[in-house]
Amino acid sequence: MITFELNGEAVQADVSGDTPLLWVIRDHFKLKGSKFGCGMGLCGACSMMVDGVSTRTCVLPVVAVANRKITTIEGVGNPQMLSTLQQAWVDASVPQCGYCQSGQLISATALLKSNPNPSSEEIDQAMSGNICRCGTYPRIKKAIQSAASKAVLTGQSTQDGGVNIFEPGAQAKEGMA
Amino acid sequence: MSQQTDPLISSRRSFLKNTAMLGGGLLIGLPLSACATAGFPKAGDKDFQPDAFLQITPDNQVHFYMPRSEMGQGTYTGLTTLIAEELDVEPSAIHVHHVGPLSDYENPEIGFQATGGSTSMRVSFKPLRQAAANARAAILDAAAQQLNLPKAQLTTQNSQVLAKGKAFNYGEFVEVAAQLGVPDETPLKRSNEFKYMGKDMPRLDGVAKSTGTAQFGIDVDFPGLHRAVLVRSPVAGGSVKTVDDSAALAMAGVKKVVTIYNGVAVVATSYWQAKQAALALNIEWNEPEKLASFSSDTGKKWFADALNSGDFEEAFELGDGKDGLEKASKVYSAEYWAPYLAHSTMEPMNCVVKIEEGHCDIWVGCQTPDVARGLAARICDLSIDEVTLHSTFLGGGFGRRFNSDFVAEATEIAKASGLAIQLVWSREDDTRHDFYRPASLARFNVGVDKNGMIESWTAQRAGPNIMPYTLDEVVDGKAPGFMPNGLVDWLSKRGYGLFNGLTVDHSSVEGLYEDYDAVNKDVQHVTVDPGLPVGFWRSVGHSFSGFFKEGMMDEVAHGQKQDSVAYRLAHTKNNPKLNGVIKLAAEKSLWGKPLSKGHFHGVACHNSFESSVAQVAEVSVVNNEIKIHKITCAVDCGFVVNPDIVKAQMESGIIFALSAALHGEITLKDGKVQQSNFHDYPVLRMAQSPEIDVHIVASDKDPSGVGEPGVPPVAAAVANAVFAATGKRLRSLPLSLS
Repeated sequence: MITFELNGEAVQADVSGDTPLLWVIRDHFKLKGSKFGCGMGLCGACSMMVDGVSTRTCVLPVVAVANRKITTIEGVGNPQMLSTLQQAWVDASVPQCGYCQSGQLISATALLKSNPNPSSEEIDQAMSGNICRCGTYPRIKKAIQSAASKAVLTGQSTQDGGVNIFEPGAQAKEGMA
Repeated sequence: MSQQTDPLISSRRSFLKNTAMLGGGLLIGLPLSACATAGFPKAGDKDFQPDAFLQITPDNQVHFYMPRSEMGQGTYTGLTTLIAEELDVEPSAIHVHHVGPLSDYENPEIGFQATGGSTSMRVSFKPLRQAAANARAAILDAAAQQLNLPKAQLTTQNSQVLAKGKAFNYGEFVEVAAQLGVPDETPLKRSNEFKYMGKDMPRLDGVAKSTGTAQFGIDVDFPGLHRAVLVRSPVAGGSVKTVDDSAALAMAGVKKVVTIYNGVAVVATSYWQAKQAALALNIEWNEPEKLASFSSDTGKKWFADALNSGDFEEAFELGDGKDGLEKASKVYSAEYWAPYLAHSTMEPMNCVVKIEEGHCDIWVGCQTPDVARGLAARICDLSIDEVTLHSTFLGGGFGRRFNSDFVAEATEIAKASGLAIQLVWSREDDTRHDFYRPASLARFNVGVDKNGMIESWTAQRAGPNIMPYTLDEVVDGKAPGFMPNGLVDWLSKRGYGLFNGLTVDHSSVEGLYEDYDAVNKDVQHVTVDPGLPVGFWRSVGHSFSGFFKEGMMDEVAHGQKQDSVAYRLAHTKNNPKLNGVIKLAAEKSLWGKPLSKGHFHGVACHNSFESSVAQVAEVSVVNNEIKIHKITCAVDCGFVVNPDIVKAQMESGIIFALSAALHGEITLKDGKVQQSNFHDYPVLRMAQSPEIDVHIVASDKDPSGVGEPGVPPVAAAVANAVFAATGKRLRSLPLSLS
């Protein structure tokens, strides 16, 4: 039995410890937002935040995340309450086929959390583990820059608050008010 | 006898042409009435359902049953916008549904329910608007009757009928509208009346795809669903000779091990268990001899020998190409090569199949749902009415999901195991068992007259043809149920011979010769097919011919000491659309103006899928490393329904093509594909992506393709810039200076 925190809730999984976290999340917890892409940690479709760091979970044995905090795309926001980054994604029509975008958003969220105002090169670096076959890179970069500048403009710290990682939708709701 | 072809015809359209030749329209004229209602959503008693595309409920919900697959190209938004415009409903208020097979959803240009050939907007532009306009007219007729007002006093606005200052929901009139019937020739809006069409609008699937809630095939799940992993012959087309599954069967979670036509499948409770157990299988294979004897390092000679054999089929003739070469004052000759390529969609192939009580249910994201359903029916020995296909979003298509091999495999595994299964391919499976972009070798001889103008354009291409491999599946999937399997197999295999000697598969030569003015043209083809399955890869034949033709044109321009843009403009007098985009790309890229130190421009242009695209690449070369700084792109694709989606598709095509130009190469050793995953089949990442600047030509012509036409010019624009930078002419893909 392995215990960890999944999107803010303590959970337990009775699975073989060598099972990659991705398949535990998808097959056991039935959260399907994180995707299988390569099985070798090369494409980033499976990215989740492990203690805030974007991590390839298709090669991460679940035993390695015991007692750690896992955030999947479902923990970033939802259609009714988008995070600032998700809203930027929608506004810039980033997704095409959409399959890689959960992983892209996880890496982008982790980036802004640690670096509220990244340079173009820093974005390239932080997103280098995430492949998009549809070629949405220019729009991903634009959306990250737009979300970062919004956070800076509103004087918010992107440490949790600015990109609303754990309180999805707060900013979207403010925007509507 | 040459086969005269329309230079702008798409490869899938020639599929029709070629298959029509096969059996007097056998495929195209298949009786589909038996399935006319299968798969169609059942309306509520009081709903208004004017046709297979629309449904309006009494509580004013508008549902759109989208006849094409959404694989990233934007049909979900684009086609819904057409409905929104003529029905007068806010696009985001429309409920969009993926659909199963239904004859009403057939693609008129392809002949079955296919998403491909960059046709979705082109073939839907009028029919979907007409359907929506008719539905709106029917609502207005019903409103006039119910409100007892002349129709002329009624207007509509955002799902409501406006009458005498009052607003009534469409839903209030649907019951009467359903009784009154639907007019069929309602006039469409004029362009100056468009509210949504022609304007940027965020993608309607953006929220679902930014929150992980969009459902792809791989996300389908239900209690009792098992996972399957299939081990296939490392040489494509092989079959199982012997299998030792004892170790696999003893592993945790494993329920069954079954042998099917092309491999051995492990069925387990979870994917990871199936995957681990598959590693424990011990299999001997029967391998097809021809493919097993092919290795890329020596196999290129197969292609060269074929070109030298002189054993050609005539593909296209205009004037007298050979005579033109003899009369020319200068002849330029060169050979160009493009390798096999994998599609590498981000979502690996997958399919869910459940067979229970004489009914088969399939959940899959694919480009040809009716072919997939037909294949499954044949495998299960069921009628197509006994098979239901549930469509999902596609995690990338690029032509890969035009094939239904993964549906056939999943159905065979479900049938053999007696379990509901989800077949999930690994990335290695995906890279090694694709229907690849065909490798191609082409030779050009281009004659120039004393004024420096092209007198004769001749090309010869050696390589495999796509159509036999596609026919194989389409015949299996679409042949009438009463035909015995043996006969269907026989018929489908005729394709291999047909395109090797009788007629030329248009997708093997498309794009080699059409674009430039010349009084004499001659195109010949010789089939070389080692037996590696080939298929439609984003822009199909244009994916290699764009590189070949545009490299050759640059060589001729340079040989004539002419500016690359000016020389192309001088040879596109009869091709105003192409001429226009060359001018626009040159202007926007500041062609001919000084660039940053060490930066060089290259230009290329190409017509495909009835659209014209020109691109200028800005490139630098340092230590033999090619760095692409910027691509300026001009596109003329007729009337644009959503300019932002057209731009996105150009960006997408450019980055997809840059992956191929810089890295893409599938090689074989003794018939086995050597690449496996993104470390040895790399694709572009963000840091390598150049700045992309897209310009759209304003046009009131009917829309043409955008999903594919951005691809063909890219590699040539880069290679031509590399020539400008280094003086080295790169005639082989992927581009390499070392």
